[in-house]
Amino acid sequence: MDARAEALRTIAAALATPGKGVLAADESTGTIGKRLATIGVENTLEQRVALRELLFDAPNCAAALSGVILYDETLRSTGKGGATFVEMLRANGTIPGIKVDAGVVPLPGSPEETATAGLDGLDERCKEYYDLGARFAKWRAVLKIDEARGFPSALAVAENANALARYATICQRNGLVPIVEPEILMDGAHDIETCLRVTRRVLDAVFSALRLHGAQMDGMILKPNMVTAGSAHPSANGGDDVVAEMTLRALRDVVPPAVPGILFLSGGQTEEQATERLRLMNRSSIPRAPWTLSFSYGRALQASCLKAWGGKAENVPAAQAAFFARCKANSEASIRP
Amino acid sequence: MVMSARVAPRAGAIGARRARCATRSTTTTRTTTRASVTAHGPTSCHGGAHLTSERKAELEAICAAIGRAGKGITACDEGPGTIGTRFENVGVTNTEENRRAYRQMLFETPGANEYLSAAILDPETLYQKSTTNGKLFPEVLSDLGIVPGVKPHLKVYALPGQSGATVMQGLDSLAMRLEEYKKAGCKFAKWRSPMDIDIANGQPSELTIETNMKDLARYALICQDVGLVPIVEPDISLKGDHDLETAVRVNLKVQSMLFKSMVDHGVYMEGALLKSNMVNPGKKCPINYTVDELAIANLQVFRRCFPTAMVSANFLSGGQSLEDACARLDAINKHKTAKDPWNLSFSWSAALQMPLFELCRGKTELPLKEMGELYIAELEKAGAAALGTYNRNGKEGDHSAK
Repeated sequence: MDARAEALRTIAAALATPGKGVLAADESTGTIGKRLATIGVENTLEQRVALRELLFDAPNCAAALSGVILYDETLRSTGKGGATFVEMLRANGTIPGIKVDAGVVPLPGSPEETATAGLDGLDERCKEYYDLGARFAKWRAVLKIDEARGFPSALAVAENANALARYATICQRNGLVPIVEPEILMDGAHDIETCLRVTRRVLDAVFSALRLHGAQMDGMILKPNMVTAGSAHPSANGGDDVVAEMTLRALRDVVPPAVPGILFLSGGQTEEQATERLRLMNRSSIPRAPWTLSFSYGRALQASCLKAWGGKAENVPAAQAAFFARCKANSEASIRP
Repeated sequence: MVMSARVAPRAGAIGARRARCATRSTTTTRTTTRASVTAHGPTSCHGGAHLTSERKAELEAICAAIGRAGKGITACDEGPGTIGTRFENVGVTNTEENRRAYRQMLFETPGANEYLSAAILDPETLYQKSTTNGKLFPEVLSDLGIVPGVKPHLKVYALPGQSGATVMQGLDSLAMRLEEYKKAGCKFAKWRSPMDIDIANGQPSELTIETNMKDLARYALICQDVGLVPIVEPDISLKGDHDLETAVRVNLKVQSMLFKSMVDHGVYMEGALLKSNMVNPGKKCPINYTVDELAIANLQVFRRCFPTAMVSANFLSGGQSLEDACARLDAINKHKTAKDPWNLSFSWSAALQMPLFELCRGKTELPLKEMGELYIAELEKAGAAALGTYNRNGKEGDHSAK
């Protein structure tokens, strides 16, 4: 028991290395298909492999990445060079991780809200993923703000917090560090104060559930949204410093310092916004924020890279350069001077 | 389960004075937004949003003053009856003048204010004067740089069906009393919720914990509304023979419920302080523990649940000797890392005062000068422990099986 706890602690601490973050490359086949469509690329296994190889092979990027989250297909895939993606990542000193949830489903009792599926058989799948080389996992819960309809409802909060806690303890039992992701969507016209309150409430419920389930606090990573106004609110794109401050205040009220790292999701932010807000958090004068503050970005790391690539082999160097630029910027943003 | 964050409107002048649930502002200037605080909706957990930014700044400043490194709290809030017992045990008559003179010594002994950030008073003491300068004690304390606070009178009653576990009465008239204490010069209040670990009887039960912690949260909300910093005191006693692991488990459960209740109630966490028991095995536990093991257990509990928004935890002594309490506080501070950002200090009554009472035996008058000298010697130790620079004698602070 102590050896496993120590192993989880070590992996979690590695994921939370200041100056490094996580690349979320765990888009499901359907989701990546949508992204590929925007750059006119066909959604074939070959193209999906080519994209991930481009990312994992990009020169000098591994130094900025403590881990990469993979989708099931990618975890089992081999690159063109013949090495598995797990081997490629490990050779670069990057920890491979795996998305283990099965996506969102309508929540009975509040069908406009969602629960996340995937607990059934999770124990067995975690065992297999560990054997395949994964050392951390990710589960995404999704909540939305709609004050008129009372969202997120008490039911949605309780159900998603509980599922996250159960997922977390199952992972830890199998030697995988759980990334706990309670995403509150940016959709809506609510102000930033509302997002602050909801974020505080949701994170409080998540950590209460984690404690109730006996999760090991220093063997997990939190992947929350930043506290922002809704995307349809007039101030949605202003006040990066306000975003940084409000986010830290929410976290300080409810995230125990035992959690070694808070690696933010980017949500609908632009690449630049996601980097700048992270940078400001690490340069904030707000005291008593002991966790590593870093990134677990998908779109915010890949958007310009994808555009530069366009599915063409001759564009790979340019695409990798674009990816490197984001890796470097986010790496610098995740260091606290 | 979502807690109601709405404070019931109070009748009369005090209730009418407060603006209630202003319409939601559409500006994004967060410092002046008075957003609506709906009772059950997504906007509970409002973190003091009903407080003005000036009020929040006041509360934060008081917390910073109380949480000054190397200083702690002298808890002199025993009611006349409780301190009367202590006096009578050593042959001192329990008169108002004796109580006044004794407290004056605790406040004014030269050098005491080097080690004291705050003092908790019984309401009687708020209205007593110093013979040094004729000033009321709250003003005397403020002049000395010791923040004055009060413990409003509270009375326990047994929760039916809970094997003697208790809750505190005192919420009903609390706001009105706190307004008076604020006028008298207090900057903070303290509310103590005692619990025992009694595994055989399933205590503290879910109900005992939930009831007490929710009361503490409501008390905290009311304090901040009046303008006083709430010190919340969940006090799990040393009674019992449970081991350290059990103590850690129960403390984590109790404190998690406390902080969750506070967040649910919309308490402004940066404007509240903790006074908890140290995590210890039961007094009669047959297993030995070193002071370092105890210190790590304390930090483990905090790391898993103590919000870093809160500035300080000032431990109660709860029957520990001064030497044990100092050794343990010192070890906690020696084991503290950069990831443990709170100030960790003392808020002691019995540990500091019982040795002082012993000096009274066989004397016709209170030996104030002698008591003051011993008091300073004690405070030096406490101050060092709060900084992690105390040198313990022998095995002080270890838990040794009796």
